[in-house]
Amino acid sequence: MDQLLLTLIFLGVLFFLLGSGVWVGLSLLGVALVGMELFTSRPVGDAMATTIWTASSSWTLTALPLFIWMGEILFRTRLSEDLFTGLAPWLGGLPGRLLHVNIAGCAIFAAISGSSAATVATVGKMAIPELRRRGYPERMIIGTLAGAGTLGLLIPPSIILIVYGVTVNESIASLFMAGVLPGIMLAFLFMAYIVLHALLRPEGMPPRGEVFGFVQKLRNSVYLLPVVLLIIAVLGSIYAGIATATEAAVLGVTGSLILSALQRSLTRASFVASLMGALRTSCMIALILAGADFLSLAMGFTGLPRNLAAWIAGLELTPLALIAALTVFYIVLGCFLDGISAVVLTMAVVEPMVRQAGIDMLWFGIFLVIVVEMAQITPPVGFNLFVLQGMTGHQILYIARAALPMFFIMALAVVLVVAFPEIATWLPAQMRAGPPA
Amino acid sequence: MASLRRSLDRLYLAAGALAGLCLIAIGILVLLSIVTRLLGIYVAGLTDYAGYAMAASSFLALAYTFGCGGHIRVELVLAKFTGRRRRWAELWCLAVGTFLAGYLAWFSVKMVRVSHMLGDVSESADATPLWIPQTAMAVGAVLLAVALADRLISVALGAPLDGGVEAQAAHPEDVVGE
Repeated sequence: MDQLLLTLIFLGVLFFLLGSGVWVGLSLLGVALVGMELFTSRPVGDAMATTIWTASSSWTLTALPLFIWMGEILFRTRLSEDLFTGLAPWLGGLPGRLLHVNIAGCAIFAAISGSSAATVATVGKMAIPELRRRGYPERMIIGTLAGAGTLGLLIPPSIILIVYGVTVNESIASLFMAGVLPGIMLAFLFMAYIVLHALLRPEGMPPRGEVFGFVQKLRNSVYLLPVVLLIIAVLGSIYAGIATATEAAVLGVTGSLILSALQRSLTRASFVASLMGALRTSCMIALILAGADFLSLAMGFTGLPRNLAAWIAGLELTPLALIAALTVFYIVLGCFLDGISAVVLTMAVVEPMVRQAGIDMLWFGIFLVIVVEMAQITPPVGFNLFVLQGMTGHQILYIARAALPMFFIMALAVVLVVAFPEIATWLPAQMRAGPPA
Repeated sequence: MASLRRSLDRLYLAAGALAGLCLIAIGILVLLSIVTRLLGIYVAGLTDYAGYAMAASSFLALAYTFGCGGHIRVELVLAKFTGRRRRWAELWCLAVGTFLAGYLAWFSVKMVRVSHMLGDVSESADATPLWIPQTAMAVGAVLLAVALADRLISVALGAPLDGGVEAQAAHPEDVVGE
């Protein structure tokens, strides 16, 4: 069968099913089914069932619902108030003042939450009303929050890194560590932007509020203690090599439940709500992954990824040109699909291509997350935009415009990570150099 | 009719609740594996059981998640349609969805029967007969197919459609996990 025709049929069926609104996971199943029926003589249905069973019952995957659950529990605590109380005294003196709470709050919450929407929602719950009351420019409040919320995916734990790691068979613990420094770098870039903006346009900024003495600052920081302890338990145990990602996730869930109980936000109702919320999200992702697993199997039979990788290799693109092309590709794709669907949908084809080009898969995961995050704040489909729309009542386009500067900052971060790959690869290498787990 | 409606909804919710228990079970099993490792005791198959609970939790929640509008889809085109066109577009999605979910359900059930017939056991130390955990996948897949067919019939008979894209932005809690 002619490769070009094959590719066109695949893409045609895929776009038609996805575009007409068939649920993403089922669409992938449908495309794979068409591909298998047309191009192999194997018993399709049986291969599908066993492939999906093997992938769905994997131990590595269990980190996924656990980290989602942890975020759901923490979302229902007083953590957002605590973050604001603890951070505000320290950041009020910088140019741009309390806008920095958005960035620092998101960066810290990102280290205990795996999703960017949860990060935006938790930090925004407190920061939006507080910053509005103090008269900060609305566009800056919303823009910085939309941008910084994407740290939720980059700074570990990260749902999308788990999905990526499971899909390409890379260590989730190493991927998590690879995300730390780029995440911190991105947070500082956001803060630098706020400082610049405040220095160039001081007229829009409200006057400085209450000035805290050092002792008062420290006293307020006590509110950050539970979060810091959770971060140490979750990320520390992974870094030290004493826990796998899944085990760290259980420590996180246990810690979050204790925290929630100590704050008296743990009720029967809030427990069930967090559990069922986590269940819906992880079930949604599991269906997409099931479809994607079957699609990978089908793709393998058609030989399409192999040929495409060989074709790309034949072009003798430099890795840099390949990365540039993939950046554009994922940003365009992200305009129509959410990040997780975009990653699992393309990995079957992109993975051989990237490996062929000799690109480090850990590094590529981090690159991919930043690029996919950029798509989270571009319309028409961007989950951070949806969350902020729900929280502020603004139009999607207004929020997207407010977040546009953050989009360019993230583009700068991509350039930096490409220019200095060690930003991503250094920390996981340190971890592996340590004592064996 | 009304009692059939009620019992179907209860069925989806019950499977969802069971899936929730499986999620708790994953946590407990992983916790147990940490504790036993610290104590130096080896318990065969704890990680495998966690994997089975993972599959059970994912599949049993399918119909419940569908009922809550939790499965994502691309709504760019759908949102442009109104009235009759919107209804036809929805019927198309539901018909394709029912077929695909039905296909998955059919072969999941077949897999369980084959595993049972051949006496397949897990490859690792626990040696669990595979048809037992696989049953959860089959039940979940069948329920998803039933839920889609249920919705297909309702919409064909004129049930109101969901709000579309606007509904997605309704409440931060609804999208918070994404």
